[in-house]
Amino acid sequence: MRLGRIVAKAVLAFAGFLAVFPLLWTALNSLKNSVDIITRVPRLVFTPTLANISYILGRDSVITGLYNSVIACGTAVLIGVVLGLPAAYAVARYPNRWAGDIQFFVLSLRFLPPVAVAIPLMVIWLQLGLYDTLPALIVTYSLLTISVIMWLAIPAFQSVPKEIEEAAFVDGYGAYAVFWRIALPVAARSLIGAVAFSFVLVWNEFLIALMLSSSNAKTLPIVASELSQQGMNVPWGILNASVVLLSLPPLLFLGVLSGFLNSVFRQKKT
Amino acid sequence: MPRRSSLPVTFVVPTLVILLILSMVPTLYAIIIALQNRELSSTAYSWVWFSNFVDLFSDRRFLNAVWVSVKWEVVTVVATMVVAIGLGVLMFEVAAPRLRNVYCLLFIIPVLLPRVSAAFVWKFAYHPLYGIATYPYRLLTGGLIFDPLSKPSTALFAVASVDVWQWGLFFAVIVLKLLETLPPQPIEAARLDHAKRWQIHAYVTLPMLKAPLVSLMFVKMIESLRSFDLIYVMTRGGPGVATETLDMYAFSQGFIESGKVSYASAMAVLMMIATVITFTMLWKRVQA
Repeated sequence: MRLGRIVAKAVLAFAGFLAVFPLLWTALNSLKNSVDIITRVPRLVFTPTLANISYILGRDSVITGLYNSVIACGTAVLIGVVLGLPAAYAVARYPNRWAGDIQFFVLSLRFLPPVAVAIPLMVIWLQLGLYDTLPALIVTYSLLTISVIMWLAIPAFQSVPKEIEEAAFVDGYGAYAVFWRIALPVAARSLIGAVAFSFVLVWNEFLIALMLSSSNAKTLPIVASELSQQGMNVPWGILNASVVLLSLPPLLFLGVLSGFLNSVFRQKKT
Repeated sequence: MPRRSSLPVTFVVPTLVILLILSMVPTLYAIIIALQNRELSSTAYSWVWFSNFVDLFSDRRFLNAVWVSVKWEVVTVVATMVVAIGLGVLMFEVAAPRLRNVYCLLFIIPVLLPRVSAAFVWKFAYHPLYGIATYPYRLLTGGLIFDPLSKPSTALFAVASVDVWQWGLFFAVIVLKLLETLPPQPIEAARLDHAKRWQIHAYVTLPMLKAPLVSLMFVKMIESLRSFDLIYVMTRGGPGVATETLDMYAFSQGFIESGKVSYASAMAVLMMIATVITFTMLWKRVQA
């Protein structure tokens, strides 16, 4: 039994190591000169260089990609918040006989294979003259953000104690005031988690961005993947630096999202 | 709740209308394109009705892609659930609360990474000469070369391991949180009956969690459909067609090799029909 526990702890520690080590190694490689990366025996001791990072940050394509990603994802998330949160509140608080169907419809949008959406949209945007523009990308991403935010916000609104809202009605608040002044602030913690999740989802999105952009509207994941299309001849340090840059924004939400997970499961317990 | 309020209508209707337009227009358009013979290189087209679909069934590369997609789906879903349940139970058994929180944070990190980043990280790690993941093999065998991404027999598993790295660890956190929500009495009772630790989990806790675990598996099945980013960056469908899934093949038919947009769209429509039917049926069963 004691041996079993030791083995179990070792397995867990190894899994924890596996979870972060590849990423740390990439971060480390982004600080290396090629000589220190292309070695048969991995090198832990080396003279660090900032050349890769400054090269990446100095490239126009990377800066444009960063700008496109921020604008496209930020706007799509904003649209998702404005349209998704009120709809989720109405479904959660004013259930009617379509509530179940609405929830299923929102979830079923996730079943659609991304290629099946991207191919026709590419033809549509080409015909409208909007292909390879940010508005086209924003509209397409809004489908993702609205549906995900709605899906996650319905349970968040449901978990707000009904009594608080009823008390507000008794105090003479109207239905809209209750949404603004009571439901939104009380559910805020979970809602922020849902919104952060939708941001990570579109920031990480690749296939649709790849098909809907050719030069002007490329997002950061596309730019990063193109760096590698030039073969492994591109200095590895530069590629590693671009991977690090691409990965940082989602990791900023680590705290928010793990708090969101905790709050979801604490509600289940009670 | 006041019964007569305009709120439900003003809040739900605009959003639903927009969602319906944004989803139905591309879906219907995909079907229309699939019935034509559009190509990227020209704007002329005509209606060919079902000939794209007929062609697909005699296209051996398409049939291969179907098979690879099914393999991908099964391998990633099963491996993710095994890793998640295994690590979740281990954390529940041997990790103290503070350590649990640390593991939970660590295990969420991979899933937050863009798939493109995860794919790059592991593409470097799997490099036969300079990769960190192949280093132990080189060390133990005195410099023999192991190149998982370019051997047809291992390429799919090498790419799938990245998917499991992202999702299996993340789901382990969820399995732990689910175990923590269970009431302690049944576990105590089993312990008093001298049940072994693994027996408690196999016969008491995991059966109690059957419903949420099935839902979790359902989520993973949906997410496993999104394999494109990993495969595109790591193998491009290769070596040969060993890792060419349906979306990869549709993409290369439509955009890389021949620009046959209609043919690619026919494939996408078949995928859409298959997934919508399968998941709708599964969902109804999960809910029931």
